[in-house]
Order: sequence, then structure tokens, then C-alpha cells
Amino acid sequence: MISTFSILFAASLLSLLLHRTKMLKIFTLLVLLVGLFLSGTSIGLTGFTSSEAVTLFERIMLIVLLALVLHEEDDTTMTQTLFLATASIALLQSQTVLAFLISFEAVSLISIVLVSHIKTAEQAEGAVKMFIAGAIATGILLLGAAFYLMGGGLLEEDIVSHPTTFSLVGVFIMLFAVFYKLTIVPMHGWAADTYALVRHSHAALLSGVAKTVVAVAAFKFFAPFLAEASEISVPLLVILAVVTMTLGNFMALYQQKLSRILAYSSIAQAGYILLAYAAVKSSLASTGLLYMAIAYVFMQTAVFLVLDTLRQKHDIQTLEGLKGFAKGNPVLAFFFTVQLFSLAGIPLLAGFLGKAVVFYSVVDAGLWYVALIALLNSALSVGYYAWIVKHLYFDKTNKTAVTQKKRTFSNLAQLILLGGTFYFGIFASLVFAVGDHF
Amino acid sequence: MIPLYFIFGPVILAAVMMLFMSKESAAAKYMALTLFILMLFVSLDLLSALPETGYLVLRQYLAVERFDFVLSLQVDHLSVVMLILTSVLLILVTLSSWTMKDQKNYFSLLVLFSGPIFGVFMSTNFLWFFIFWELTLVPMYFLVGIWGAEGRIYAAVKFFLYTHVASMLILLAFFLIYTQTGMFDMTLVKEAMLTTPALVWWLLFIGFAVKMPIFPFHTWLPDAHVQAPAPVSALLAGVLLKMGAYAMIRMVVLMLPEQSQNFAWVMLALGLITLFYAGFMALYETHLKKMVAYSSISHMGLVTVAISTLSYSGLSAALFEMIGHALIISPLFLIAGFLHARTGSWQMQDMGGLMQKAPYLSAIFVLAGLAALGLPGTMGFIGELTILISAIDRFGIGLIIVALGSMIGAGYIIWTFRRVVYGEKSKRIEESNFSMNRVEFLALILFAMGIVGFGLFPSLLFDTINTAFSMLLTPGGAL
Repeated sequence: MISTFSILFAASLLSLLLHRTKMLKIFTLLVLLVGLFLSGTSIGLTGFTSSEAVTLFERIMLIVLLALVLHEEDDTTMTQTLFLATASIALLQSQTVLAFLISFEAVSLISIVLVSHIKTAEQAEGAVKMFIAGAIATGILLLGAAFYLMGGGLLEEDIVSHPTTFSLVGVFIMLFAVFYKLTIVPMHGWAADTYALVRHSHAALLSGVAKTVVAVAAFKFFAPFLAEASEISVPLLVILAVVTMTLGNFMALYQQKLSRILAYSSIAQAGYILLAYAAVKSSLASTGLLYMAIAYVFMQTAVFLVLDTLRQKHDIQTLEGLKGFAKGNPVLAFFFTVQLFSLAGIPLLAGFLGKAVVFYSVVDAGLWYVALIALLNSALSVGYYAWIVKHLYFDKTNKTAVTQKKRTFSNLAQLILLGGTFYFGIFASLVFAVGDHF
Repeated sequence: MIPLYFIFGPVILAAVMMLFMSKESAAAKYMALTLFILMLFVSLDLLSALPETGYLVLRQYLAVERFDFVLSLQVDHLSVVMLILTSVLLILVTLSSWTMKDQKNYFSLLVLFSGPIFGVFMSTNFLWFFIFWELTLVPMYFLVGIWGAEGRIYAAVKFFLYTHVASMLILLAFFLIYTQTGMFDMTLVKEAMLTTPALVWWLLFIGFAVKMPIFPFHTWLPDAHVQAPAPVSALLAGVLLKMGAYAMIRMVVLMLPEQSQNFAWVMLALGLITLFYAGFMALYETHLKKMVAYSSISHMGLVTVAISTLSYSGLSAALFEMIGHALIISPLFLIAGFLHARTGSWQMQDMGGLMQKAPYLSAIFVLAGLAALGLPGTMGFIGELTILISAIDRFGIGLIIVALGSMIGAGYIIWTFRRVVYGEKSKRIEESNFSMNRVEFLALILFAMGIVGFGLFPSLLFDTINTAFSMLLTPGGAL
């Protein structure tokens, strides 16, 4: 049966033949476009179901991947992008425990293969850290699944809370494995290093796409259970979320390397995303999560792609090097600034509405003090985002501007992501229409 | 449809200007000026279209019913007065920036600022109000950070962070209101709320107090005011602080009347402290622009006192004083900035004897200064007098101390005259050249005309202002 999943899967395998032929980029773009055209089609296997919210997110993900491939020039990464898209769609549509376990592992495995494309010692360090963390997460997930099954759960069914301690503990252990991928403190240790050390376009895939996919899929999978077990889950998730965002923001304040600032900022954002899990009793929590995920996938991917351009074409990796950058490169500086402001939650950009809906759902769930902490955290984060912008625009440059050859494709990619950030910052109806239909 | 053009139009225009105009293009300032004049006409048109009381419903856009995320534009007398003030100020600020460097970017940022500020005054949906409210920060951040003086970076970042934190409190208050009423519409919320938790009042009060600013939430302002380029300081004082006062009146006093009654003493006390604290700080300053900045804060303290009366006369007086403050403080900032640009110093002792060298400029400085201390015949007098009367009316004769605040004002203003305008001619003044661009001087003249004109004929303003609060006179009105 022809579906996005099958097309993408076939294309990922086929793309291996097209390496070093210059055709690969066009092929990948075409496949993603076809996938976009077919989106909404169910995988067609048992255990997987699609829904309106998932379909919307699949579309967004494919658009973002399209932009990423436009930017990318490396063959291996393009193939891995296709593989990741395939596994992501499976994960997003997974409904039963078995389907979730398998597709989660698939995404995890592909992420590890992705970063294994090592060229420097630094990248090796990042990749190994990710590999170890990924292996631990896998182990924990299986442990949790084992507990769950022992408590009477079934592999071929949705997750439901059985009134046994075993199944309850099992689900929470599984949740912790998922938190490895979501970089929730204290499972975040690998992320700051990996995001900062591996190639930035890989970091964009990991911290932008893979993370949001896991967030949306895990919400779809765990939300009914979390709502049922709210006496335990809400306090636990609130504490984790608050610690994650606070730690991420404070660590980001102290960094000098751009990639590290954005890596910690990504951890802080994971804290905001987790708030939607904590607010699961609110009717707007699912919409909030979807909105936050959509906003985040655009802006996070965009900033790491900017970093990629900065490192490759301008040899800039630190705040120091960024001084006065806007003078010589107004366009790239503009893209970067808008996405940073979106991450900071400045209105008319998607990041604001995403945060607003999530934070509202937290208030709605009766946790206004948690929302206050989150809001203050968000204000604190402006400290480092605005600080990057300060280096871009306010400082005098300390080196002569080098005119670079134009990177039309890369700019086009940024334009697509910018469009998404603006569109979802102004027009909310698309997300609200499907937000309840998870 | 037209009002919507004037909210999003400027944002798009600014982007077009930034992308497609050459760096030192002279067209930028003419485009900005044209836009702001058009905005003034639109605001005046809205004024004539207003009904006697209540809101003029313009349109609703981009409706998302599920979250009441609707861009609904409605105006009443209060917001139209603010729109007119804003567009006048924008015109005058454009004229005063006529010789600013890097014109394209500067004026496109001014244009970018003008759209959201119109949105703030027109939007009656909390979320959209908040969006525009926050959006004004972005152009201001760049205007202060790029064109400012020596300490501009610290000031810009502090301004951004400080006011952003305050905004978060406001957003939380809006959310709390929504959980109770299920709507973000500020025109309907008052009836829909059964009880108003004190928490909502405090969050909104502190959030808006930062913008006004009220002691102890004022510390961002002296930095931002001093480091910003002079026209931007005028814009900060004339528009941004007014945004805070407008929101304080609309969303604290008129929307939460019960809690405002309960906490009127908080507003009164903080208003008085602001008035005196900033007054004494101004007395102490030798830094000319800082003195003006503290004088500005001191006047906002006066506005707070007027707001705390929660009465028809008090709120009218507050609105009058807000307009007066915009017209009086702006030329002081402009002249202080100009003197710094020419003499290279901020210190008053370096500027003695200005009158001998630049008599016209000094005359305007003296006029604005006298208006700031409340000389009869100027706007300052009318504002301070009406505030004094309404405060005594509401809180008793003890509030005569408000007049003492004006006396401190007289102290620092007249002493500044002694040090800057008159006195010994200093070496720096002797060596500097004070020829001013004609257009920029025209702006100062226009400010002076406003100060005297509305001082002699206050009814021109009061007719409109009073209508803004006429609902307070009817029984069962807002308070």
C-alpha cells in the first residue's frame, strides 16, 4: 500500500545507491515532497494509527526536513534524514506498546548512526556520549516494558494503567527512558556535549526534529496513562520540568560557545515541553504540546543550521567571533535574530504562542505557581538570547568582513523555517483545529 | 479594515525599508513622516467616529474561538486620545531625528515601533494586547542598543530583561482571568468575573508599574533614558511610559474596581514615594539627562497619585498630566541630548551660560522647565492643579503634600537653570557650536506651542478626556 511511510522507507534504501552522483539532493527533496503530498496516510500495519494532530505534525516535520536537506551538502546525512523521517512517522503513529517500543528504538538507532559520521575527535566524543546514553535509554525502556508486562500489560494493546504496582512502576520506568531522548534533567548529561560537539546539521536533526517527534509521540502514547495516574505523575513531572528549565537556562547563561548556549537552551525548552505533560488534565494540554512542538521544530532547526553556516563558512563558533557580524551579513543575522527571539518567546513568532498555550494549560490545570516559575524562566532566557543578538548588532567587529559566495539554497532553507515561525506566530487556527484530536 | 493596515502595515513597511533601501537614503525619513502623519489623520478620524460612550467596534480578525485568540479591535475615547498622542509624538520625534546617522535602519525601526504601539491601544483582546505590548520592546532594544551613548549595551539589555520579566506577570494575570471567565476580552471581563482574586490585581499592578514606572520598579528607566539617543528618550517618556499608565487605568482601575478600591492606598503610597524619591534624586543629580529622567519619573508618580483616586476627576487629571508630561519632558530630553552632542559632556557645570551662546534654545529649555515645575499658563500647571484638587477631594487635606512635590520640582528645575542656562559661561560652551538643524528646531517649537497652547486652553483637551471617563459619573458605572 502506498503511504508516506512506505515511500520514505523505499526511498531511504534507494538513496544509498545515489551517493556521489549529485542526484541525491534532488531525489531526497522530491521524495520528501511526495511524502508531504501523501501525508495523512496511515502506515497500514497493526498497532499504528494516525490522527489529525499527528498528520499535522508529520507535515510540519517533512517541511522542516525539506529545509534541512536544502541546506545540507553531505550525502550520508541526506540518507539518514530519510531514514529518520521514516522511523519518525512510525513512531508518531504508534499506538500499541509493541509498536511504540520498536519505532522508538528505530529512531534511537538512526540517531546514533547519524552522529557516527565522525571526522574529528570532538565529534567522536559527542557521538560516543550519545551512544552510551542511547544504550542506557534502550535498556531502561526494555526494563520498564518488562515490568509493565509482568504487571499484566499486553504488548498488542494501548498503554493502560493496570491496578498493579508492577505495571505502574513499569510505565514510569519507560517514561524515564523517553526522557533521555527529551533531555530532561537528570537524563540530560549527554545532550549538552553531543549537541555542541557533533556537526551542527546533525544537532539540528537531533535536537530539533528527533526530540519533538519523541515528545509528540510519547504524549500521544502516555497521556491517557498520565491523566489516570495524576496523583503521582503531576508532582513528578512538575518537579522534573522546573528543574530542567531552570538548570538549562542558568547553564546557558554561563556559556561562551554558541553551540553550547543553544544546546542548554534546548534543554530548557525541553522543560517547557514537559510542562504540557504535567498539565495533562487541562483540555488544552495536547494543543499546547502540539503548538510548542511545531514552534520548536522550526526555530531549533533554524538556529542550528545558522550555526552550521557560521562554522563552515565564517569559522565562527564563539560569542566573541560573532561581534559585529550583522554589519557584513545582514541577511543571516536577521534569520538568526528572528529565530532567537522566537526561542525567547517574543510575540508574533511561533515560540510565543507555543509557550503561551502550554503555560496557559498549566494554569488551567490549577498549577499557577508552576506557570509563574516557567514564565520567569522564560524571561531569564531572554538574558542569553538577547546577549547573542547584542553581539550580532551592537558590538564593533574586530575582523575585516570576508565576502562569501552566496549560499542560495541555505538561505532558501532559512526562509522556509522563517516562514513557519512567522506563520504559526500569527495564525493559530491550524493547530487549534486539530489539537484535541491526538 | 484601515486600522488593521496601520498595525501590520508598518511592520511590513519596516521590513521592506530595511531590505530594499540604500544605507543613507534620505527617503527613509520622509516615508516615516508620511506614515506617522497618516496615522494622525486616522486617529483623528476615529475620534470623530466615536460614539458618546463606550466602544467603537472596528473589526475582528484571525479568530480562534477555542482559546479566544481573536484580534478584536475596538476603541473608546481613552484609547483614541492615546492614539493621537502617540502619532503626534512620533511625528515630532521623526522631526527631531532629522540628522540621525544610519537613517535607513533608524527610521525603519521607528516605523516598526509605530505598528505595535497602535495595536496596544486598539486591541481589546488580552492576548493580542500582550503581543503588541511585547513587540514594542524589540525596536526599542535596537534603538537604544545601536544609537545610544557609552553605556548603551548595559542599558538596552537591562531594559529588555526588566520589562520582559514584568510582562510575564501580566501574562500570568491574563491566564488567571481566562481560567475564571473563559475569555480574553477586556471589555467583557469585568461583568464576567464573579470574584477578582487579589493575586490578579497584584500581578497586573506590578506588571504595569514597571512600565510606568513606579518606585521601586523604576530602576531600568534612568539607564534606558540616559543612554538612549535623545529622540528615543523622548519616545520612551512620551509613548512607552504612557502605555504603562494607559494599561494601569484600563486594566487595573477600570477592570478590577473592587480590588482597586481595596488597594488604592498601595497606589497612593507608591505614587507619593515615587514623586518624592525621584524628586530628591533629581535634586541631587549633576548629570543633566539623568536629572530630566528623574524628573520624568517624579511626574509619573504624580500620575499614579491621580490614578489612585479612582475618581472621574482624578482619572481625567491623570490623563491630562500624561499628555502634558509627554509634551514637557520630551523637549527637555531633546535639548539635553543636543547639548551632550555638542559639548561632549553630561555634567551641568560644563554647560553654564548657555543663554549667551544659544538664546532660542535656552528659551525653549526654560519654557519646558517652567512647565515641568507647574508654572501657570503651561500644561504642567493645569495637570498638577487638577491632580492636587482631586487628590484632596478623595483623600482629605493631608494630600496637600502633593504640592510639596511640585516645590521640589521647582527646586531642581530652577537650580538647573542656574547651572545650565544662566551662570558663568563655561569653556566648553564657549568652544561649542550650537547651530541646530532647522527641522529639529521646528520640532522643539512645536513642543513649546503645545505646552503653552494647552496650558492656556485646557478645555481643548479636557472636552475629549472627560468623555473617556464619563461612565464613572453614572450610578453603577465602572467604580
